Amino acid sequence: MRQTVPMERHHDDVIRTVQDRDVRFIRLWFCDVVGTLKSVAISPADLETAFTEGIGIDGSTIEGLTRAYESDMLLRPDPGTFQTLPWRGEVSGTARMMCDVLTPDGEAAASDPRRVLKDVMDRAEAKGLEYFTHPEIEFYLFQEQWRDGQPLRPIDNAGYFDHVHHAGGQDFRRTVISYLEAMNIQVEYSHHENGPGQNEIDLRYADALTTADNILTFRTVVKEVALSMGQVASFMPKPMFDRPGNGMHTHLSLFSNGKNVFHEPGAEFGLSRTARQFIAGLLRHASEYAVLTNQFVNSYKRLWGAQEAPSFICWGHNNRSALVRVPFHKPTKGTSSRVEFRGLDSAANPYLAFAALLGAGMKGIEEEYELPEGAEDTVWQLTDRERRALGIDPLPTDLYRALEAFEESELMAEILGEQVFEHILRNKHDEWHTYRSQVTGVELETTFGRI
Amino acid sequence: MPVPSRAELVRLGFARADRAERFLADPLLSPMSRELIEAIAASADPDEATIGLLRLMESMDRAGLREQGRAILAGESGRDLVRVLGASVALGDHLTRHPETLSALLGGQDEPLASAEAYRTRILEAVGADPGSAIPVASGTGDELRIAYFTSLAGIALADLTAADPVALQVRVSQALADLAAAALEGALALARALTEDHEQVLLSILAMGKTGARELNYISDVDVLYVVAPAGGAEVSGETLTAVGGALARHVARVCSERTAEGSLWQVDANLRPEGKDGELVRTIDSYRRYYERWADSWEFQALLKARPVAGDPGLGAAFVDLVQPMVWQASTREGFVDDTRAMRRRVVDLIPHAETERNVKLGPGGLRDVEFTVQLLQMVHGRGDETLRTRGTLEALSLLRDGGYVSRAQADEMDEAYRFLRVVEHRIQLHRLRRSQVIPDAPADLRRLARTVGLGTEDFARRIGSVRRRGRPLHEEIFYRPLLQTAAGLSDGEVRLTPASAQARLAAIGYRDPVRATRHIAALTGGVSRSAAIQRQLLPALLEWFADGIDPDMGLLAFRRLSEEAGSTHWFLGMLRDSGVAAKRLTRVLSSSRYVGDQLVAMPYATRWLSRDEELRPLRAAELGEELTASMRRASSVADAVTVVRDVRRREITRIALSRLSERIGPIEVGGALSDLADAELAAALDLAMTEENARGIRMAVIALGSFGAREMGYASDADVQFVVEDAGAGEDAVSQGIRVATAVQKILNAPSAGMDMKVSADLRPEGRAGALARSADSWEGYYRRHAEHWELQALLRARVCAGDADLAARLEESLDALRYPAEGLTPARERDLSRMKARIESERLPRGVTPERHLKLGRGAMTDVEWVVQKLQLAHAGADPSLRIVGTLPALDALAAAGILPADEAEELAEAWLLAWRLRRALFLWKGRETDALPADRTDRRALALLVEGSDASARSLEEHYLRVTRRARAIAEREIFGEVMHRLPGETHP
Repeated sequence: MRQTVPMERHHDDVIRTVQDRDVRFIRLWFCDVVGTLKSVAISPADLETAFTEGIGIDGSTIEGLTRAYESDMLLRPDPGTFQTLPWRGEVSGTARMMCDVLTPDGEAAASDPRRVLKDVMDRAEAKGLEYFTHPEIEFYLFQEQWRDGQPLRPIDNAGYFDHVHHAGGQDFRRTVISYLEAMNIQVEYSHHENGPGQNEIDLRYADALTTADNILTFRTVVKEVALSMGQVASFMPKPMFDRPGNGMHTHLSLFSNGKNVFHEPGAEFGLSRTARQFIAGLLRHASEYAVLTNQFVNSYKRLWGAQEAPSFICWGHNNRSALVRVPFHKPTKGTSSRVEFRGLDSAANPYLAFAALLGAGMKGIEEEYELPEGAEDTVWQLTDRERRALGIDPLPTDLYRALEAFEESELMAEILGEQVFEHILRNKHDEWHTYRSQVTGVELETTFGRI
Repeated sequence: MPVPSRAELVRLGFARADRAERFLADPLLSPMSRELIEAIAASADPDEATIGLLRLMESMDRAGLREQGRAILAGESGRDLVRVLGASVALGDHLTRHPETLSALLGGQDEPLASAEAYRTRILEAVGADPGSAIPVASGTGDELRIAYFTSLAGIALADLTAADPVALQVRVSQALADLAAAALEGALALARALTEDHEQVLLSILAMGKTGARELNYISDVDVLYVVAPAGGAEVSGETLTAVGGALARHVARVCSERTAEGSLWQVDANLRPEGKDGELVRTIDSYRRYYERWADSWEFQALLKARPVAGDPGLGAAFVDLVQPMVWQASTREGFVDDTRAMRRRVVDLIPHAETERNVKLGPGGLRDVEFTVQLLQMVHGRGDETLRTRGTLEALSLLRDGGYVSRAQADEMDEAYRFLRVVEHRIQLHRLRRSQVIPDAPADLRRLARTVGLGTEDFARRIGSVRRRGRPLHEEIFYRPLLQTAAGLSDGEVRLTPASAQARLAAIGYRDPVRATRHIAALTGGVSRSAAIQRQLLPALLEWFADGIDPDMGLLAFRRLSEEAGSTHWFLGMLRDSGVAAKRLTRVLSSSRYVGDQLVAMPYATRWLSRDEELRPLRAAELGEELTASMRRASSVADAVTVVRDVRRREITRIALSRLSERIGPIEVGGALSDLADAELAAALDLAMTEENARGIRMAVIALGSFGAREMGYASDADVQFVVEDAGAGEDAVSQGIRVATAVQKILNAPSAGMDMKVSADLRPEGRAGALARSADSWEGYYRRHAEHWELQALLRARVCAGDADLAARLEESLDALRYPAEGLTPARERDLSRMKARIESERLPRGVTPERHLKLGRGAMTDVEWVVQKLQLAHAGADPSLRIVGTLPALDALAAAGILPADEAEELAEAWLLAWRLRRALFLWKGRETDALPADRTDRRALALLVEGSDASARSLEEHYLRVTRRARAIAEREIFGEVMHRLPGETHP
């Protein structure tokens, strides 16, 4: 049994910083099973209690966090994640810490997504493997909030890498990046994306738990900045059907003692045996974890809406249509060898999605899966029969099919724990049901006057 | 001098006097003095000493050291030498190989028990390294290291074996051994540097752990180490270089120390206490250790770090490591998991002994060396957090500090100290003989005699002494740890132990009492006063407190024990039994700390406690035995009311017996169901007998059919009994049925009379036509109903039916009809199959109580007992008509039969059985734990943890149990859905998962 040591030193640091900078409120952040950020504000006077005993919350009000009869939960902040919120001002401002959710007797709550990821990472770490991720997050900026009946209006009309003269987009990214860096979140790269008003910001690679914390923070920062500029940011997977969706391509790598275990000089594409088994795991279980990497009804409209979306379960070397891509790398740079997973969308719960990807990859390593042949061609240009001949299966075409594969998956139940597994099944079936309980414009248009 | 005669040699103690006579006559030994022969005779093994001496002289002769040899034989130093030769064949061999080392050894040039610094200088010079250099690099070889090591070891053995009081010298000997081992590591490191490229870029420090770290080493044992690395002199060194160079150095060190050549081998270097154990990185930086210890380490790892001490390599780096870990060590007792780890460790210390060696192993087992070390260390961890004076590495040093601090009484500390030193001396002597790593006292008479003589005792005295030290060891632990708690609780003090209430409570908390304040109050109540029973309690409680602490809920156990003692403490047998029967006392502590139900029952009927000392009383009574007792005593009863009391008392008594039997692990989980059903059978038989008499029912025969869990013999402690009454005319004519109804009514009245206890409720609601139907039916009418009118589900219910009481002929007839009715020859028709599935679906939506989520209901929930039972029933209906091997009442045996017949795949049958059995066991365990029937997996985690320990054993946790239960039932549900409802069910809009 592993546990965290009382980190008194960190606690003191936090308390001192709060004092020095005259922080007035500390927000305790955690997330629900969907991945929505939840926040509880405490005053500096409550900090010590928060560290030693935790802050009690009523978990029953939060999606998937508790069973109705066991609603008392504790938040225990992780002092290593303390940051002041830059948009709240440096002095007399507000700070935040990410929290673990615990049961009243101090055990990690089975339903805390952060716990799910930690457990899977612990299992890998017991085998000497550390898990790093590097996400490229896409999102849209619109001129105003969506309202029923109104078309969505992106803030510009530019395309990939375009230099936008309309200064808004650039200013926007500059502010976001400076805020992120003020919060110690390193940005690797940022640019305008393909769609109008669409942007991409890549976060620097870090261990998967930190990355997941960062993604949650990132979404909040983006929304705050957008609002401050009179715009609205959306991470919805496919807000406009004829425009590119919001993907979150993520580079995955495993390290052992500071060495990238995916890298093997001289091997094909520099891929070690471990990397090949890991990719094989990602592919074999792709349908099972789709509910986690692509959690909304809308997610499947991105996956099946062309525009370079990875709709088929295959891998390729630098193949932009493959679900898993092995990018070019500089032969001398062993540490950069990694695997790009292209299926994720920006609306995923990063804790659960990263946990599922690691779990699937580890399964491949443990059971020494054979990696199928890589796909050279652009997969969506092949015919169905060609794909079948090549043994390339499609990802689930909608949330319902994804749920069917998920429900059959022992691996997912094991990764998530039975309670989160069950909750997702219920919650997502409800979502599917709501989606089906509507009559769409398309139906009216094609059927109303037809017969 | 002339060689003594054979007879004299025999008298002197030579075992093979003929051979000794020949050897002693060798011209090489002729300068030998009479005193030397007597010294040989006084050595541990005179025969071996003689051979050793002769071989040594031959070797000196060959080496041209004849004159020195003669001087040794003639002088006093020879007498010391033969002590070593008689006790250690291995050191004799070493000296024979290197006679040139002898003069330094005997001539007093080398201090035999030298300082750490002196050993370091000796070893480094031997391998051609400069002891004055900060980073010594060797020019010599591993063999030079080994020769120097064994020469110094021989010096230590010499001082040890010639000591007037080896027990008194033991601490100093162990320190010298540890210092010599440290010097050897330094020498090995110097050799490793010579073999490692770029070694100058990396600073390495070797930390010794375990006995080497605590400077309490024995002659030969693995040396536990950790390695710390840092860049040398502020150089820019990459992480990879650090790891590579540091790792190479560490591997060379380990190889030099363990390699075996003609010069022997030192010992194994064991680095498995490092972070992540065998899989972890061999060398780490201080930062890397910090990250690990702050984030990952288990509490036992900090207990191991208590002993960490820099012994070789860069001293500054070693000191930095100690500075890093020491504060963590002393906070360890407040960490989550400390109590659990401590319990687990105590189990390892006390339980896991290879049985054949228990008595002969000085290290393992109760009262062995490790037991003492564990006791001292636990006290150190508990009290050392607040009291810095206790922070030391060595066991005996810690013990004396605990004594001085008033945590342990002087007499007990001295006794433990003496016992520990004695066992260590024995261990040393065992190892010296051939320098083998052993802690087992030999059993061959010659070996045993030699060993006894090395500690200056005769064989028999030796065995007695060992036995008494061992027997005293375990109680001494309890005395030292728990006795002061009694004194503090009672406000007494013997003047030596001054444990504050807070310290006493810390001790209780460290071993698992959640409410030490209240526990202290119970202890005070039990032991206070001058009564005889208080005196016995004072004697018993130290051991009992420990056993309660091993149980699921120590606080509940102690409270129940207090209540029980208040009820039964004054009886002549209660405390006596606990004092005389360790088994009974141990069982009682387990029972009271795991079952609220049994605790309450024992307080109400203390006499049942006696069964714990007799295995035959813990056997559930058979149905026939019970039947006889019940029938006889109910007939004796003066009224029906009296008879009701009799049944109730017997029932209560027997349920308690079954529970005690289960908790003492005299019977398995499934036998509980059988025993409880036997009990119900006997009650019904006796009640029927009484009712027939009371109602004067002479003209009828009657039988009772058991259904449901009663029929399937799967009853729980508080299950109801579902029955049907069938009557047959035996002269009553038309009156038969109405007589039968009167009897059936009387039976229910007897068994269902209201009372405060938990009675079995006898229910006939499942009879033909339900509650509207007649309470008893004639056999013809009963058969007719099932043939012509019964609905499908009623026939299905007969699959779990059997005749449990009544007239034998009628019973036989009914059993025959049952088989004909429930195993249809035509199997399951499509209409009936459809009916069955629909009925199951309806039950699922209607039966589940409000407020319980389906996953957590142990009976009706998703994949729980009902689901599994329906699969079995459906398959029996379909196939048992054709296949008689399937005609079985009882879920688990029926599943086996279905798998054997190839109707259910074996893995599916197994998964269904696992889910069913787990749910069944949880329901039974819940009853024992809470004292009442509950059907939902508890929401409360304390309850779940208790269940986990009761059902899944000592490694389980609340979360692991929940996860396990949800998993097996989810899988069982998937199988059940397929079997009952056909192919995969598609979810339809709005449908929730059952």
